[in-house]
Amino acid sequence: MFNQGMDVGHAFEMIGQALGLRREPFQVLLASDSVTRLGFLVLVLAGFSEALGQSIVLFVNRVKPRRFVASLLLSTLIFAFGFGFWSFSIWVVADVLFEVHQPFRVVPQVLSLAYAPYLFSFFTLTPYFGTFFGSILSLWRLLAVLIAVSVSLSLTLSQALICGALGWMLLQVLQRTIGRPVVWLSRRLRRMVAGVPLVFDKNRWAELVNENVEDDA
Amino acid sequence: MALTDVAMLIVIAVAGFLIAGALSPFEALGWWAGWFGSEEPEDSLPEVSSKPQMKHAVVFLSGIHSVSGESYSERELAFLEKLRERLPDVEVIEVFPYSVTNRALTGQRFFAWFWRWALKMKVSGAGVAGFVINLRNLWQVAVSADRRYGPIYNQGSADMIYHALIKAGYSKDHKVPVTLIGYSGGGQIAAGAAPHLKHMINAPITVISLGGVISSDLGLPALEHVYHLYGQRDNVQRLGLIFFPGRWRILPYSSWNQAIEKHIITLIKLGPMDHTGPKGYLDSDTYTPDGRSYLDVTLDTITALISNRPRPQMNELTPDTLPTRV
Repeated sequence: MFNQGMDVGHAFEMIGQALGLRREPFQVLLASDSVTRLGFLVLVLAGFSEALGQSIVLFVNRVKPRRFVASLLLSTLIFAFGFGFWSFSIWVVADVLFEVHQPFRVVPQVLSLAYAPYLFSFFTLTPYFGTFFGSILSLWRLLAVLIAVSVSLSLTLSQALICGALGWMLLQVLQRTIGRPVVWLSRRLRRMVAGVPLVFDKNRWAELVNENVEDDA
Repeated sequence: MALTDVAMLIVIAVAGFLIAGALSPFEALGWWAGWFGSEEPEDSLPEVSSKPQMKHAVVFLSGIHSVSGESYSERELAFLEKLRERLPDVEVIEVFPYSVTNRALTGQRFFAWFWRWALKMKVSGAGVAGFVINLRNLWQVAVSADRRYGPIYNQGSADMIYHALIKAGYSKDHKVPVTLIGYSGGGQIAAGAAPHLKHMINAPITVISLGGVISSDLGLPALEHVYHLYGQRDNVQRLGLIFFPGRWRILPYSSWNQAIEKHIITLIKLGPMDHTGPKGYLDSDTYTPDGRSYLDVTLDTITALISNRPRPQMNELTPDTLPTRV
């Protein structure tokens, strides 16, 4: 179903192993000659779960149901783009710093499965404990990413950590420099799809609720 | 039963608990986003002539065991009846605090059939059904205490209480004082809603938490007064002290500790009472050494607080050290 010869049971087994931070499932993906359906599916579902987990932004800003669904799909797409850019920056750092000359495709091919912990991002909606769950999931994914990078680029875990960290920093620099039009476009797209001017700052939400109550009165 | 079956049951129970938690904010969020239709505008409320003779309004927010405003326990009903007898000039109103739309779980809901069934099972003595109801409402308490959802949920609760007050003949022009009595999880809902309600009616609001599981809500310092009544054997109200870091004494700048510092919060030790059931706050069959039932002690304390008495300047009181009438 997912790749030639891979059934649902095997797919679940690989996801379970990835969640258990084992190297084997990443090695299986590395051995395949293309971006697998399994990795792609995990990435999309993780992105959708993450979008649901962050959907309070849409509710607070009173986004209507149809636009809500469209916004979730857009967030999933942006999540996938973010994944692509991070993969690229990790690959660049590994190439420059450790002279690893692997083709680019192996990084996203293997890294996609490392996003498996984010399949549970929906649970960050849980009241009171949700933020804590979110931190645990971020740490979990980071550990999985280190293993994926280590497997895909044949690096030690400490080298993988350097690639991940510098790759993330490179991404932040790019977002604030030449990537600004992309960031601007994604924000504009989000607002356009949501149909309202979205307020992302959590500290302003209580203020927003009070403002809207006064407007309604 | 094999060990694997037990393990599977535990996994299912934990998964159910977490899924119920993750889904719990949706009612309040959907209400806020206007997904359940537009709000009831004020001028569409039924014509209820305001009661100019109303001197004080009391709103009772029940414990987490309830599924509607009409499904209170016998002890709660007896408590409310006696409260009305003791305070004939006070309007006592009941609301279902675990829904910002004041919709009973057994009312017009997709899963109403399930909650009706759960209530029936609970009445017939099935403990699991009661546990499921408690769990559902407990998550709503967590929604109210959450910094992300709290402003929305608490605004919704204030809105719901406001509508209940207006329907009972409350006029906001007369600035009639309001007291919210929150029992158990209702204590958090009351404390969360009170600052928003104050903004809506511009009248003095006092919160009486009866064994309430209360967080360090940001709006607490803006209230007239919060009385937290607790029994020494009540371990449920202690959960608030454990799970909400703002209640810890090592955080002196939290809203709770600031409100204590400003004498806005008074802790009242009622006696050796439990949270609920026999030997609970509302038990009329267990007596203190002075011959009063636990229910009478609770009623004496609450009626004394609602009656016109000066605000205590102490943080720790017992029923015997309540200030006397002026």
